[in-house]
Amino acid sequence: MSGAAAPAQQMTGSNRYMLLILLVPGLLALMTTFLLPMVWLARASFSTSSMSAFGGGVTLEHYHAALTDPFYWKVAMNTLSLGVTVSFFAVILSYPIALFLTRSTSRWRGVLTALAVAPLLTSAVVRTYGWMVILGDRGVINSTLQSLSLTTDPVRLSNNTFGATVALVEILMPYAILAMLAGFGRLNPQLEEAASMLGASKLRVFWRIILPLSLPGILTGALLVFVLAISAFVTPRLMGGGRVFVLGTEVFQEATVTLNWPLAAALSVVLLALFSSVIVIYQRALRRLEA
Amino acid sequence: MSEHHVVVENLVKTYPGAATPSVDHVSFALPKGEMLALLGPSGCGKTTILRMIAGLIEPTSGAIQLNGREISQTPVHKRNMGMVFQAYALFPHMTVAGNVAFGLEMRGVPNSERGPKVQRALDMVKLGHLGDRRVTQLSGGQQQRCAIARSLVIEPELLLLDEPLSNLDAKLRDEMRDEIREIQSRTGVTAIFVTHDQDEALSMADRLAVMSAGRIEQIGTPREIFDAPANEFVAGFIGAGNFLSGRVTAPGQAEIEGLGPLRFAAPASVGSRVQLMVRPHRFKLAAPGPNAFTGQVESLVYRGQILTLAITVGGRRLTADLHTHAGTLPAKGDTVTLAVAPGDVTFLSEAAA
Amino acid sequence: MSRTLWHFLIALLYLFLLAPILVVVIVSFDTRQYLAFPPESLSFGSYAKVFANQTFISAFGRSVMIGLAVGLAAVVIGTLLSMALVRYRFRGREGVNFLILAPFLVPHIVLAVGIMLVLAPMQLLDSYTGIILAHLGITVPYTVRTITMSLMSVDRRVEEAAMVHGATPFAVFRRITLPLIAPGLIAGGVIAFLISFDEATISLFIVSVKVSTLPTEIYNYLEVSTDPQIAALSVLLIAVSIVVVIAVEKLIGLRRAL
Repeated sequence: MSGAAAPAQQMTGSNRYMLLILLVPGLLALMTTFLLPMVWLARASFSTSSMSAFGGGVTLEHYHAALTDPFYWKVAMNTLSLGVTVSFFAVILSYPIALFLTRSTSRWRGVLTALAVAPLLTSAVVRTYGWMVILGDRGVINSTLQSLSLTTDPVRLSNNTFGATVALVEILMPYAILAMLAGFGRLNPQLEEAASMLGASKLRVFWRIILPLSLPGILTGALLVFVLAISAFVTPRLMGGGRVFVLGTEVFQEATVTLNWPLAAALSVVLLALFSSVIVIYQRALRRLEA
Repeated sequence: MSEHHVVVENLVKTYPGAATPSVDHVSFALPKGEMLALLGPSGCGKTTILRMIAGLIEPTSGAIQLNGREISQTPVHKRNMGMVFQAYALFPHMTVAGNVAFGLEMRGVPNSERGPKVQRALDMVKLGHLGDRRVTQLSGGQQQRCAIARSLVIEPELLLLDEPLSNLDAKLRDEMRDEIREIQSRTGVTAIFVTHDQDEALSMADRLAVMSAGRIEQIGTPREIFDAPANEFVAGFIGAGNFLSGRVTAPGQAEIEGLGPLRFAAPASVGSRVQLMVRPHRFKLAAPGPNAFTGQVESLVYRGQILTLAITVGGRRLTADLHTHAGTLPAKGDTVTLAVAPGDVTFLSEAAA
Repeated sequence: MSRTLWHFLIALLYLFLLAPILVVVIVSFDTRQYLAFPPESLSFGSYAKVFANQTFISAFGRSVMIGLAVGLAAVVIGTLLSMALVRYRFRGREGVNFLILAPFLVPHIVLAVGIMLVLAPMQLLDSYTGIILAHLGITVPYTVRTITMSLMSVDRRVEEAAMVHGATPFAVFRRITLPLIAPGLIAGGVIAFLISFDEATISLFIVSVKVSTLPTEIYNYLEVSTDPQIAALSVLLIAVSIVVVIAVEKLIGLRRAL
């Protein structure tokens, strides 16, 4: 344990032994909880045996099923459109909060920041339940509408795509806020002051200075929300009341109800492919933005 | 060798991938109770030597002996040394007393003996009343004292100090300088300290080693180093100097370019080229004559007891430090003559023409 | 846009963000047996029911135990990995770094299917070992992050000072390094606990009856009924979250930890 002046540890024999002790438990854990699952998943998606990854022969039938069945095409489309809608609204609604928190000099700033990201640390199941209470037939909104005599019959706000969308927007907003706060580092109030002193109106300062500088943060936020939205299943399932079909809900259905594990695996791979391609597109976009 | 407490022999440190060694065959020895300063510009390898002695860096080759025992393979924690780090490196999660007690605790000193020892160490550095404070609440000078107490309480074989004063402001620095020196001579601990500040080195050390590029250029008492620098690097690094090069025209006399003849008291063969130096304080105001140079005062800096002036002679600058009590002082633009006794001219080197 | 209008807009957005939590708290005090809003009268009836519900109580106990095990294991593994990553330069370091971050880059549901496929042949589905392993993969990245951050801010000179003054490498770690990284350690452990405690997606694939956790029980309950008992239960979960949020904020700051 010597050699601290040099930035790196030199590899002596005892050092190597120590390093091994440090690395092995973590690598074993990550191997069983990440690397192996990914390999098993890929293998299972080609398996002919329904309940095991390595039993049986190799077949493409599950991909065939997943990619030719019109139902799964519809599911894929639903998933994409849910992802796009949710990330659009989550970004629109998160942006003012992130902007406010970045520019605020109030002593409450810390508390307000914590309040904005803290929902991340409350269970998604709990918050989904909250939205069931708000949007349900006898929930907050319908009872308010009825007590104001605006409607007599309850308006259908839950057990459909609308309910799932609203709940997901709220549940994923803290991620967007967090990503934006991290990405707004370049937003310097002096830039705004400089622009104002050069004669730019508030609106022009926003369009010409604030928005372009916050674009990378917005993009990151949108990406994060999108990838989380297309892989969500608890919220779409509970808020959709079994009527919203997205990749997440179908994977869960195949894995735990129908017990068709190879199909669940194949659908997961499709989801993963969708996920990865979005990330690649995002990285291209970000590089262009920064160039 | 047995009369020496610390012996360093041919110490070399080459970092992997580096073209030249950071420490290049360094040797020195110091008797018990002596304080040695390793002095040099940053990057000269002085801190690396200190860290190798402490055991924090493994030497590439060479020997380190303490009390006649070879220790270069001894693990750090068994070397029984005290060290004062540049930024003190106090344990931020402990109290002042906790910091000082740490070394005793590691040595298995029982609790009942620890308390009085810690108190004595803290009293020695005048922190006796602050034992319960957190170290983060201490001022810079107090942190320094705490670090000293921590390193001395274990009664180390050797005390190492890495730029101990560099984090203090000027006034505190002078105070701590005297105090460290005083504590060191009172405890009689052998000490090595690293500094880039020549004043610090000259005033604190019994002997100093001037380093450059991984090598020791000269090792000696402050007086030897100052008055008889071994070469141009040492002369330039310690104190200011007027460097004069010329050709020896007669025994003890050289023709200096642009200035004329200069007599000096050192053997040098006629016809060779010599490098000479005159310390600014060796110049006196005088009437024109031998070993004297006349020129116009170009700049004046008044520094209380001393007046530093620069004159130009034949296109060269000469600086002189004059005592301000020496009668009327010249003004800018005056023409003055500066003289130096041959014995006060420092001979640095000689090379065949 | 005027300042007041801007602040009003921000307030509205915060209301939206916190609405489900607020509503759940209100409904949990409703006296009625079915979900409706606003409550007619307030009582602790739902809470009493939750505490009498053996299914929920035992699920709560299991969730706490699983969370503690996950938190502890994630901290130990995270500390070891962070020491390796911060203190050593070795070949394959980038690979290790990637492997730690990779679970962030894969949707939890995909991970869940994979873990299910791995655990099934080992007979670990619906077992404590299975669920703890599953949660470990998604929590280790967090503990590595908070502990790495703490470790990087530890002044190496302080550790050297301890060494020079007589501390063995192990004593340096226990007396100096460990206390100095404690905030990051605790914050990471607490976050890992909470993630495990709140996790539903992966758990739903791994557990069924024997080791069902509180979130999976709530999920299963919600598929059939939405009565205020769940609200009371949710408030308990939220309370746990609040304790954790405050702890993390005090220890190292929430934004740095997430």
